Amino acid sequence: MWTFARMHAELYAPAVERWNAKQPTAATRIDLSLLGVLAVEQRMMSAFLSGLPSADLIEAERRIAARAFAGPIEAVGFLDLTDRIERDGLRDKINPSSFTPWSKSGRVFGLPHDVHPMMLAYRADIVEAAGIDVSTIKTWDDFVRVLSPLLKNPDGSRRDDRMLLNLWETQIDMIEALTLQAGGGAIDSKGLPMLEHEANARAISHIALWTRGASPIAAEVAYFDGTGHKLMRDGFVIATFAPDWMCNFWRKEVPQLAGKLKLMPLPAWDVGGARTSVWGGTMLGIPRTAKDPDALWEFAKHLYLSRELAQELYVKGDIITPVRELWDDPVFDAPDPFFGGQRKGRMYIELAPQVPERFSSPFGALALARLQSATSEVCAAAREMQATSIEPLLPIAREALRRAQADTMRHVRRNRFFAELSEQSAPAGGAP
Amino acid sequence: MMAPSASRTAAHTASRDRAAWLLLAPFLALVVVFTLWPLAGAVLLAGQQTFGPGTSRFVGLANFRGVLADPLFWQALQNTIVFTLGSVLIQLPIALALAMLLNQPGLKGRSFFRLVLFSPVMVGVVYVGMIFFVLLQKRTGLINQLLAMLLPSWDINFAWLEHWIMLAMILASLWQYTGFNMVYFLAALQSVPSELQEAARIDGASWWKRFRHVTLPAIIPVGSFVVLLSIIGSFQIFELPFILLQGNAGVDNKGLTIVGYLYQTGFQSGDLGYASALGWVIALVLGVCALAQRVLSARAEAARSTSAPRKAPAPALAPALARQPSGGNP
Repeated sequence: MWTFARMHAELYAPAVERWNAKQPTAATRIDLSLLGVLAVEQRMMSAFLSGLPSADLIEAERRIAARAFAGPIEAVGFLDLTDRIERDGLRDKINPSSFTPWSKSGRVFGLPHDVHPMMLAYRADIVEAAGIDVSTIKTWDDFVRVLSPLLKNPDGSRRDDRMLLNLWETQIDMIEALTLQAGGGAIDSKGLPMLEHEANARAISHIALWTRGASPIAAEVAYFDGTGHKLMRDGFVIATFAPDWMCNFWRKEVPQLAGKLKLMPLPAWDVGGARTSVWGGTMLGIPRTAKDPDALWEFAKHLYLSRELAQELYVKGDIITPVRELWDDPVFDAPDPFFGGQRKGRMYIELAPQVPERFSSPFGALALARLQSATSEVCAAAREMQATSIEPLLPIAREALRRAQADTMRHVRRNRFFAELSEQSAPAGGAP
Repeated sequence: MMAPSASRTAAHTASRDRAAWLLLAPFLALVVVFTLWPLAGAVLLAGQQTFGPGTSRFVGLANFRGVLADPLFWQALQNTIVFTLGSVLIQLPIALALAMLLNQPGLKGRSFFRLVLFSPVMVGVVYVGMIFFVLLQKRTGLINQLLAMLLPSWDINFAWLEHWIMLAMILASLWQYTGFNMVYFLAALQSVPSELQEAARIDGASWWKRFRHVTLPAIIPVGSFVVLLSIIGSFQIFELPFILLQGNAGVDNKGLTIVGYLYQTGFQSGDLGYASALGWVIALVLGVCALAQRVLSARAEAARSTSAPRKAPAPALAPALARQPSGGNP
């Protein structure tokens, strides 16, 4: 079995050991290997393209896995797990949105590892010292209004600035998360681009207003490097997007934040709207070339669906399991001192059913790149016109997204399989 | 009937030929397996549409037509040409100027300066990308910090990597490769006959005239070779924008290079046929550049031959040319 994350490898080692101890022959024993993400991607694709054997189990991150779903359904390199999932009743046991990234034409090719609901992590020490109650924040408009007193020198020219949100026009993961939360996204259920969706126009207009408008409230703080960690420690931004796995990253990489951060659900786009989104995702797949798929399926269930692993995954990795029947475990109710004693496991679990569905496509990377370009275009317009509301930005966003959609569709139409799908499908977009 | 001596000669020749083929066989096998076979495969692949594992169909020249009608290809080509021009027009004059400074007679510490200027090339391009990625960060990058210190009105959030990515790439490349090209020029300058310089000086030629009429003609073959290497290396630029832009093409695809686009289509979208067609187009462009370099060099050489007696290749330059890197340098 190949995995790409050290933490996963460490968590799985005891489960693998237990499994191997019960196996009468070496044929069904598991040998766990930790590889870099790119190595998993390259080896997996080399094996699928050449028809040569690979590991019998591959744990793949979302964007890597998407590459395996190109071409006709019979050419997908992973085994179709749909019948096994139905037979074992997993469809009802697992959070529905966790299946979609690993699905193609209604067939499922991977067992989901996670849900990855997203919240906002905010500097509770700064917010509470200012006497602000974040429970009054229900929408993004509330967020800007309630937290605005904390803004400092938002012209970007001073060193003691403070902004409200970690967001920038090139942070494509955040842009995607916000469009998904708004009801849009880059790829539809058929794997086709849906960039023209009105929800996307609304989301990127807000991003442009917040980052490049007349009174910006957002700036970039890199998530994964030392400069970003320093800005986090300095309190340069009040709030940062926080999927469950990010909590573990901060806990390990920026321990100085312990006790200073708290979590809150994402503000909704509209009152009563979704209070979360999603970032990241992993699946476990069985390549078609695997020798004993039934034994591997049993192992996959043993590994991913056990209560022990769900507990370990949360305790050591801050990740909540997608298995709904395990959500009642008391481990998720433990107060977390790093986040001011909040019961964050329970908070994430309460949001999990609202996690938007995402769909995989070989054109996903291209569609996201075009979405990012469209966002930059609107940001440039926001800066130029010193925008104070999204109304003048919306037509610009629609036009930029129309061109982004056309660009992506030109690549889709070159492909006979997706061209057939796009001809059959109704035009993408419409009201959210 | 063949005479015995002729028969022995023929047998000897045949035996010698067999031995030659036997000795060449390992090399030829490697060339066939690792060069000719993949090249033939790339030709076939360029005529196919590929999509997902084991899925392909023959599409003739459609991929090439697609490439020529693809705005992203033209944007990538334009970006690459801008980077190439930046590399050649900025980097090479600086390299030549540095080489001339280091070639001054009686200069103390020549080896030290040569090492200092050459050393950036010993750092891998990935590291250079990472260093410049940190240097050019918006708020925390040293360059913005420094500029904000010197110019109070400077926007500390100036987005180098988003809106000035090409300049950032040229700067990084300049830092890394100027010293490398300088070494070529230095070797060439050391081969310029000192008696010619001396004669020109005695004749009262100014510095510019000595440079224009003595030095420059003598180093033109090396200069054109360095230009060609720089063009080839610049066209192959991939790692630098990949690191600086964290695997993306940047805002409005401003950092999309031609090889980056090949990677995007082949290894991210899985369209290997299209990527192969792109590869052939790049090869064609580089082939034209190489041809142009050969033609221009030949003309320059011919012009020199008619105006001055032909000289043997300078010994100082021979080792440098013999060690030329296969991939070139941007």
